[in-house]
This record gives sequence, structure tokens and C-alpha cells, in this order.
Amino acid sequence: MNKFWEIVRYEYTRHVFRKRFIFALLSLPLVILAMILVIFFMSYFTSDRTPIGYVDHSGVLANPIQLPESTDIFDPLLQMIPFKSEEKAKKALQADEIQTYFILPEDYEVDYSVPLIYYEQPGESARNQISRFIHQNLFAGEQIEFEARITEGTNFTLQSLDGEQEFQEDEWYNILVPFIIGMIFIIVVMASGGYLLQAVIEEKENRTMEIVITSVSPMQLMAGKIIGNISVGLTQLVVWSAFGWLAFTIGGQYIPFIANLQISTQYITRCLLLMFPAFVTVAALMAAIGATMTQSREAQQISGLFTIPVMMPYWFAMPLMMNPNGSIAIFLSYFPLSAPVALSLRMAFTPIPFWEYTLNLIFLVAFAVFTVWLAGRAFRIGMLQYGKRISLSQLFRKEAHNE
Amino acid sequence: MTSIEVRDISKRFGETQAVNGVSFEVRPGEIFGLLGPNGAGKTTTIRIILDIFKPDSGSVSILGGEMSEEKKNQIGYLPEERGLYQDIPLEHCLQFLALLKGMTRAEADSGINNLLERFNLNKYRKKKVKELSKGMQQKAQLITALVHDPALIIIDEPFNSLDPVNTQMVKDLLTEQRDQGKTIIMCTHQMNQVEQLCDRLVLIDRGKVVLRGTLEDIRKRFASNNILVRSLNKIPATFPGVKAIEPYNDHYKMILKQDATPQSVLKNLVEEDILLEEFEIAVPSLDEIFIKVVNNIGEKNE
Repeated sequence: MNKFWEIVRYEYTRHVFRKRFIFALLSLPLVILAMILVIFFMSYFTSDRTPIGYVDHSGVLANPIQLPESTDIFDPLLQMIPFKSEEKAKKALQADEIQTYFILPEDYEVDYSVPLIYYEQPGESARNQISRFIHQNLFAGEQIEFEARITEGTNFTLQSLDGEQEFQEDEWYNILVPFIIGMIFIIVVMASGGYLLQAVIEEKENRTMEIVITSVSPMQLMAGKIIGNISVGLTQLVVWSAFGWLAFTIGGQYIPFIANLQISTQYITRCLLLMFPAFVTVAALMAAIGATMTQSREAQQISGLFTIPVMMPYWFAMPLMMNPNGSIAIFLSYFPLSAPVALSLRMAFTPIPFWEYTLNLIFLVAFAVFTVWLAGRAFRIGMLQYGKRISLSQLFRKEAHNE
Repeated sequence: MTSIEVRDISKRFGETQAVNGVSFEVRPGEIFGLLGPNGAGKTTTIRIILDIFKPDSGSVSILGGEMSEEKKNQIGYLPEERGLYQDIPLEHCLQFLALLKGMTRAEADSGINNLLERFNLNKYRKKKVKELSKGMQQKAQLITALVHDPALIIIDEPFNSLDPVNTQMVKDLLTEQRDQGKTIIMCTHQMNQVEQLCDRLVLIDRGKVVLRGTLEDIRKRFASNNILVRSLNKIPATFPGVKAIEPYNDHYKMILKQDATPQSVLKNLVEEDILLEEFEIAVPSLDEIFIKVVNNIGEKNE
């Protein structure tokens, strides 16, 4: 057992403490951070903070209630300036003192239409504030919670029959969660799969196999390599998640939308539980390929094939969303490589019974154990065949053990 | 008590019979030579002993039974295919491989320090393995085979790419290990090394044992009735008891008749007043025996 941990440690440290790895680890969050900053500055500097003017003939805004102060830096509160006449407002607009002005005509409360006058169309934020400002004053005196409800309109809450799942219209972003989880899964699994492939091929290229195999069992070696390299991938995941968490915490203070995000922890936990065996499966298959191939380039090409089933649920994203219990969806969630992404997608759109989820999970774990065994075997057979490829049938043949 | 007992093992790879009914045993406190020409089946035999390959038939008992994970810690192996992790510093490579032999970190560090010192590699310990010369890598590989103080040492061509100084050092080391009661199997085709080191040997050719025994036994078995003589005088063309006389380097090689003994020839030489500088009973070198045995079998087979 100690030897197993030594292998895990060796595989882990030889990647994690390298400059190359640390660079790769930090580059993704840094690139994202840079992108966010660019977007942030772009919208900050392009958003027009010039006040808005209005001319009220109707009397709705006679004693206007101002909108509350905003903490949202992308949606700062714009000053609303009343004008006595349209001429004065027009002059102010020409003088760039205001970005636009709106008029509440005398008969405003007949058809509630509001002309908006501008040279350059005001941004969404300005238009929103105008309509919130008018709403707020129209409802002056009503109880505040009604006001918010009426202002925002209907919000459907969809609930599954068993009551386990709820879906609210304004929580549309939940649809993105399985996609984001799936993407992270793919990136991490491919990265650690790549490391693993490299590790096994290096063993072959360095010809250390005979030494290693007379020290530990092939199963120990393979399991150690797989867990070690997966831990490298998980380190990436944890570091990236930490950055994500940090981004949300900081972002939440400035952007109310982020602060209000509600993502089910149960859902995330279930997705992650599916990821782990799938992770081991892909890694073990990579290792098996590494053991049977002789050149890293060749092996890398073959391993690229694994990306296809992992990505497949995305190609079928539409049928999966429209019909999450259809035959394509069911098939993809039982096929070990596509299961984590497919099942995460299905779980987001339909309640999956607990027994079905558990069955899937057991199936994935069993398959993961099988692939580790297969990788150990491939290693045992392939290890001494320098410069020789081994075939798939050789892996399963009974007498293969003798070679 | 035997450390290794190989009983009638055979192994076939496709059309090639790599090993064919090989048996021998090795005892503690001896250096056992496993000899043979290239492709004779030495490496396959070793891999079967180490449980890297399973034999098609026959069995191997190692340290009193079948190979197990625990026994792997008591075996030091210098494979024919040399291999070290190239891309990491020497000391990390050695440490990792020592830990895989079940050593604790402290044991591994002190063992590695001792051997690095002894092999004059201490100042290269921080260098990447791939930056070391072939000879240095060979020494590093030997450290890997010896650092965990194994009871059984199996070394395949230990003197490859070593200069005479290092060769001598490795020889001393092996003798030392033998004197400590370790079991050593040495695989080689460098016969001069075998003559100096091995206590017993088997010679394998085309997968079969063609010669076995102690060095002395084998020499006696192949001793021809020849003597080598160096003299200041000219030796007569015919001589009592001698079948033929041939020049041999700066010696004469006298091939004796069946009934003659070196003793009687020496007596005659003295009586003939031939001034002898050197008189030697010609013992065949292991090299000669090796070539003779291997060629004879080759001829028989053809």
C-alpha cells in the first residue's frame, strides 16, 4: 500500500511542482480575469451616465419618488431632471446636458404611451430606469411587494410531480450549469488523461518497466499512476473552482445578479459524484492506450477519439433538453464515457428517480474498476514489447497472461 | 539451502523456442554465471525467474517459493534494458526507485548517499539523469539494484560501458556482496569477468543448457593435453611423447600424444638440455571453451 502512495506522490509532484504546470494552472483564471476586466471597462466606459430629462404634462410625476440608489456598477442610478417645457428639454438635449427625455402627455393615463426623444438611442439601462421610474410613481401608495411583482410581471414556477425539482423562469441560468460542469469535466479529464498517457509512455521510453515491475505489481503501478494524475487534474479543478468562488464573491458585491444566483448544491454534488468514476475510466483507458502504443504522438491521436463520446451529449443537447427521457438520452446516460455529461443535462431538465441515478453511478464505478484492471493488464503485456504494438484481442486472450 | 531453483522451464514466443528445458539452482554466498551467446535465452530465463514472464512449462522457486510482492523487496535487479527516469534529478530518481523497494525515506537517503559516494556520483546528484554519461547512468542503475541491500542480486551484463577503474570497483563490490552471503546471478558474455568472479556457471545456447559446473570442473573437462613452452634454444621438430609442435605467440605449443604426460615431457626437455624460460600446462580459457561448445552445437545442428 505504501508503494502505491509513493507512486501517487511521484506522479503528482512531478507535475504539480513544475513551472509549466503552475503556469497552465494560473493562465486560465488569469485569461478569464483579463477578459472580465476588458468587458468591465468596456461597459463601464461606454455606459452613458448623463442624466435623463422628462416633461410631465399628466401630473403622474408631480411629486416624483426617486429610484433607490444602485450598487450595481453597470447600472448606476441616472439622475432624472424635470423640465417645464419640451423646448427647454430639447435645448438641454442639444447641449448634451441630458442623453434623452421623455414626455408624459396630458392623456397619459388613457393609453400609457410615452414618447422618448433622443439623438442617439439610449442604452438598455437608461430605458429600464425610465420605465421603473414611471412604474414606481404610478404605483405610489400601493404596498411595495405588489409593486415589485407587478413591475416584474408573471414568474412561473414549474414543479415536478414528486416535488423534488423546481424550475423558476427567472432562474434560467440553471440551464447553463450542466453545460459549465460538463465543460470543466472535459477540460480536466483531457488534461489529466494527457498527463497519464505521457506518464505511461515515458515509462516505456525510459525503459524503467523492468525495474518497476520487479518492485511493485502492475495493478499497484497503474492504480498509483491513475490516482496520481487524476489528483493533478483535481488540483486544477479545485484551484479553478476557488478562483470561480472568489470571482462570485467579489462580483456579487457589485452585480446583484451574481449575488442572487441560486444553484442547488444537491444537484452539483450529484454531478460531481458522477464525474469521479468517469474520470477514472477515461484516465485508465488513456493509460491502457499508453501501454499498448509505442510513440506518444500515435497514442495522442488515438486518445483524441475519447473526446468524441465525452462531448457527444452536447451534439444531442437539443433532443436531450426536449426529451430528457427519450432513447437517445437514456442511451447516452448509460454509455460510460458520455454518462456524466448526459446525466447532468438530463437531471437539469427532468427529475431522475433516485434508483436510476444510483444504478447509473454503480454502473460507472464498476466500469471504472474494470478499466483500471484492463490498464494493468495492458501494461503487463505491453511493457516489454518495446517498439511493438499489442492488439485488443491480445488483451482479452486467456494466454495473454503468459506473455 | 538454495536461493533459486529453476526446474525444467520452457518458453516459446511464436515460432521461437526461447528457453527449452533449463534447470539450475543457485545458492547463497555464490556468484553464479548465466552465460551464453546473444539470443541464447539468458534474458528470458531471468525474466521468468523474476516472474515478468510465466514459463510455458516448468517452475521456479525463488527464496523458498513462488514470487510474491514481499519478495520483490529482497531482489536487486540490473536489467539488460537499462532504464532510469531521464527527466528528473538523479537523486530523485534513485530515491523513488528505492522507495518502491519498500525502504523508508530515511533508509533510502542514507543508502543512496553511501553508494553515490562510493560510485563517485555525489557531485552529479542534482543533475538530470539524461545529462549523465552512459557510464554514470550504468553506475546509477547499479545503485538502484543494490541500495536496498537485497538478498538476491540479478545483474545482466554489469560491466557494459564501464571503464577499467569502474569495472574493478564493481567487481570488488560484487565480491563483497558474495562474502556477505548474498546470492548473485550474473549474466554476461564477457568470459574474462566470469573467470575472475563466478563460482559456478551454466552455459545456455539456443535455449538449452549446454555446459554446467564449477569453473574448475569445466576447465578440467576441457583441458587438452597441451603444454606451452618458451625456450632460448630451438626445440627439435620431433620430440618423444609429442605429436606436434606449433609456434604459439612467442611460445611453442606442444601437443602431446595420448599416453604422454606433461611430467614426462618436462623430464625429456631437461635431459635434452633445452633452456626453459617458461613451461606451462595449457588450460583453455573460458572464452575458448565457450566458442568451442557453441560452435560444436552449431555444427551438430546444421
